[in-house]
Amino acid sequence: MASIEYLILILVGASFLAYLFTKLNTYLGSVFTILATMFVFASLAGYGFGMGLDTTVNYLPWFTFNQTYLGFYFVIIIAFVYLMVSFFHPYYLGQYKYKDSYNMLFLLSLAGIIGAFYTDNFLQLFFFFELIIWTTMFLIPQGKSREAAVSYFGFSVAGSVAMLIGIFLIFSSTGQLDITSGLAAISGTNAIIVFILFLIAGFAKLGAFPLHIWLPIAHGNAPHPFSPVLSGALVKLGAFIGILALVRIVPTANLLVDSINLPLGQWLVAILGSISIVFGTLMAIKEDDAKKLLAYSSMSHGGYILVAFSLMNSVAFAGGFYHILAHAIASAAAFMAIAAVARATGTTKMKELGGMIHKMPITYLAYLVAIISMAGIPPMGGFISKWLIFMAVINKGMIFVAIAIFFGSVGSFLYVFRPLAALFLGQEFREYKHVKEAPIMMLIPTFILMGLNVYTGVFPSFILNFINNILGELGYAALNVTSSSIINVFDGQGILNPALISLVFAVGVFIAFIIFILLKKSRSVSLMDTYTAANFVHDEHLLHYSVDFYAPLERLYEKHTNWMTKFYESLAKKVKEIGNLGKYLFMSKNIGTTMLWIITIIILLLWGVAL
Amino acid sequence: MIINVLVGIGIAFFAFVLQTSVAGLNRKIVGRLQKRIGPRWYQEFIDIFKLLSKRSVSHGWIFDFGVIMALGGIIGTAMFMPITSNIVAFQDYDNFFIFVYLLAVGMLGMAMSASGSGNPWASIGVMRALTTMLAYEVPFLIVVLTIINLSGTSSMTGIQIFQQTAGNNWFILALPLGGIVGFIALMGMLGKKPFETYIAPAEIASGPMVEYGGKQLGMLFILHEISVWIEVTLFVHLFLGGATNIFEFLIKYFAVYTLANLISNVNGRFKIDQVVTFFYKWPLLMAVTQAVIAIYFGWVI
Amino acid sequence: MLSTKFTPATKLSKAEIDRKWWEIGDFFRRNSLWLLMYCTGCCAIELPPAMTSAYDMERLGMGPMATPRQADILLVSGYLSLKTLRRLIYTYEQMSEPRYVVALGSCPINGGIYHDSHAVINQLDQYIPVDVYVAGCMPNTEAVMNGFVDLMDQIKHKTANGWKKYHANFEWYKENQRNSLGEVDVHDEFHE
Repeated sequence: MASIEYLILILVGASFLAYLFTKLNTYLGSVFTILATMFVFASLAGYGFGMGLDTTVNYLPWFTFNQTYLGFYFVIIIAFVYLMVSFFHPYYLGQYKYKDSYNMLFLLSLAGIIGAFYTDNFLQLFFFFELIIWTTMFLIPQGKSREAAVSYFGFSVAGSVAMLIGIFLIFSSTGQLDITSGLAAISGTNAIIVFILFLIAGFAKLGAFPLHIWLPIAHGNAPHPFSPVLSGALVKLGAFIGILALVRIVPTANLLVDSINLPLGQWLVAILGSISIVFGTLMAIKEDDAKKLLAYSSMSHGGYILVAFSLMNSVAFAGGFYHILAHAIASAAAFMAIAAVARATGTTKMKELGGMIHKMPITYLAYLVAIISMAGIPPMGGFISKWLIFMAVINKGMIFVAIAIFFGSVGSFLYVFRPLAALFLGQEFREYKHVKEAPIMMLIPTFILMGLNVYTGVFPSFILNFINNILGELGYAALNVTSSSIINVFDGQGILNPALISLVFAVGVFIAFIIFILLKKSRSVSLMDTYTAANFVHDEHLLHYSVDFYAPLERLYEKHTNWMTKFYESLAKKVKEIGNLGKYLFMSKNIGTTMLWIITIIILLLWGVAL
Repeated sequence: MIINVLVGIGIAFFAFVLQTSVAGLNRKIVGRLQKRIGPRWYQEFIDIFKLLSKRSVSHGWIFDFGVIMALGGIIGTAMFMPITSNIVAFQDYDNFFIFVYLLAVGMLGMAMSASGSGNPWASIGVMRALTTMLAYEVPFLIVVLTIINLSGTSSMTGIQIFQQTAGNNWFILALPLGGIVGFIALMGMLGKKPFETYIAPAEIASGPMVEYGGKQLGMLFILHEISVWIEVTLFVHLFLGGATNIFEFLIKYFAVYTLANLISNVNGRFKIDQVVTFFYKWPLLMAVTQAVIAIYFGWVI
Repeated sequence: MLSTKFTPATKLSKAEIDRKWWEIGDFFRRNSLWLLMYCTGCCAIELPPAMTSAYDMERLGMGPMATPRQADILLVSGYLSLKTLRRLIYTYEQMSEPRYVVALGSCPINGGIYHDSHAVINQLDQYIPVDVYVAGCMPNTEAVMNGFVDLMDQIKHKTANGWKKYHANFEWYKENQRNSLGEVDVHDEFHE
């Protein structure tokens, strides 16, 4: 019988063992990490689906646990991403400076995640959140830059402080620390404030506009095996907080336009989500670093999740939940493919890479399947979630949100194609002649993720039925899904048969293959033997189009992209100035001034006590 | 199910034959406009079969695989498309978004294959094609949002039947601004001038198709014919009330394609950034205006 | 007298089947000839009237194409300097088979008015096989069109075999190319 408490304790114990093992031998420690993660994932998957985990607490006083479908949905996705990523550890840890602690922090953050989603108490939620933030904060600077960790930590802390104030507010006004009843009991102005505070926390973790600055910096500079965790798993914490606020609290009931039929707060969140989508898409199109590009795509997908959860109906919620899963899988797979390339070549800059498909065909296929899902193209999982969100938005008739989601959807074709064209396809560079396909152990998660991307797109009924349980828990009607995966939304306004789409696609490909195979065999030529208007070009770099791929499009908006960054820079400057003022006033070298201030403060405090 | 799939394959074949003939006829019409005799009406068939008979070159497996995936995706999309409101392979499952996104599989396959050839012009062409797609897709989808919101269904057959019901106008009359946007977007989808930027034979050597010859190019021609059929048929079904019988469909289809082609022949070519700014100026504004007055105010003719 | 009604179906040999397919292919190929125009010399001026309403090349199914991969005919219009010959050979080798070469004007035949230039070659068919020559300096547009019809006839009678000759006598062609050009595939193109 698996108990949540045991799982957390096992992970904490395992993390220290992992530290010792890694100190002995990196490979040994990493394999131990894989086994520990696998054990946790297996126990969660084995008992959690039927809510069969033991919630009793014997060794951890003051902690209480509770299982919900909502929490389990997040836990299983995140634990799965952790498991997949752990397979990459043996091949990467050797190059990091503090490799001993890497596995330890990795397992500790997983413990934090299990706690955060299974707890039913706000203060514990905050505790586990901090555990996750503090452990991952020390993982990020092992990559390229330390500033990335600062940025990540700054925004995360801003988020958790907002959450903490919200928790205090709930406690002071309702006297409850229980998550469900606390959120249900709060009302009036306090509800609005808590709504805003929780959303700040959610936005900060999700990396949604306007709290998105850390996302590309942290994702782009994190260690290669940690970027998939950040994007596939950790930003989903933000979605969780966002759901708590958006679904459980409805602060104002006044409707903006009758035909939109949505409370003002939710409507504003939908607009902010739309801005996230558009902003993330535009920035991703412009980005040259493959990992940063995917980070901006995470921001855009975070926007989709926010839009979905602000629409207040079960179709949109189902779409949002499905999008969380589809994006976690697709994004983890894409980041892992890029990580595999980075391991082989030492760079993630697209302008320095080319023709990796001829060296790493399986990694290429994994990336291809992932981006098909990310762009929301059938027969992959992303299509179903985007379709549900589209149908919900169309049903609500929200035109401006619709512009954003359609723009983001078509824009995602642009940005996901760019690494494909620049990094995997195109000319084969001579400096990467020695590169080989990733080792077999790294291909195991690649294959699993590829299979899951297809599975989520072809047979969504199992997952959608589970989502129906969550919807029931949240008090919404279930989605109409038959056992053969036919989805029917809004009484026939939209009917989708994913399995049929895949079948028909397969038939089409089969016909095309028959046509192809029956015809005369082609003469095989090298990549350099290509039409150059009959010029003799012998340098493959000259025939590789990858720098400023979308230059004509970028030119239209590149002047307007960094105003947000500038705002934060000036904010940081102001904070620094205030700090300097404080330093000038209190930390003076003149001992008399300091004494004066200390005495003044003590007098003030005493006066306060006297009052 | 097997019967349905066979019907679907029949529709895809019908699409190929119809659009190839109509394209040939249109070449003839354009020839007459330019005081030429013009080719035979079946010239397009000859071109395609000739290409299939030639011995081509291949730049590696992705070059071939992309072409197969592209043609497969397009055939699959065509199989879902209803010809009239009664002739449809998969009743109820002809959701509008399938046509937008399954078509994208084909486009992705083609883009992949083109980039896989290692030719920079092909990549530039793909870049331009995707940018054009970003331009025309958003105004078009906003109009479609209005249509789905009004008709209460996203099935292509359902939208046709909604327009054919007594009391409802064709959407090109009910939503006149939307109809104009739809037609401009159709020109963009078809890659007709002035939105022909991504082919541009004299500028980037026919863009994505630069490295293709022989059977791969022949398959891309088949792909092109079927995708043109899908796009024009989408317009007929969404805006012109669909069709109740096959003759009505043929007439509407021929009229729409010929009109697009004629407009194309008196236009020059936009630069790629002009395409984007054009679509995000007037068509998007018109589409949003149309959506606001139709959905929020309920003013539908 | 044998009855024709019940003659047993003779099984066609593979060569015969291939020949039949080839004949069907020839029908399509000769009715859809796409040109790659290598406009090196003054004869290129004859092509606009050939394409536009005066002679309307498209009624024969012909038309211009953008790249050698797509084209069937390599149309050499005029004299060829050594620099352009290199590129012409490169282009010819990139074309899909079957491929044909049509040469306009007297320059590709015997050097024309440039016959004594040090930088211009005199006979194109020393370097690549030519299927149709259209003589004249410059040829009339009628003559150009006539040349295309001649090529169609040749394809019909299976005599347009230049591309096969190039394979059969590859070494000989290469030898000639090397003798005139030195290195065909130059590496330092800006200082050749």
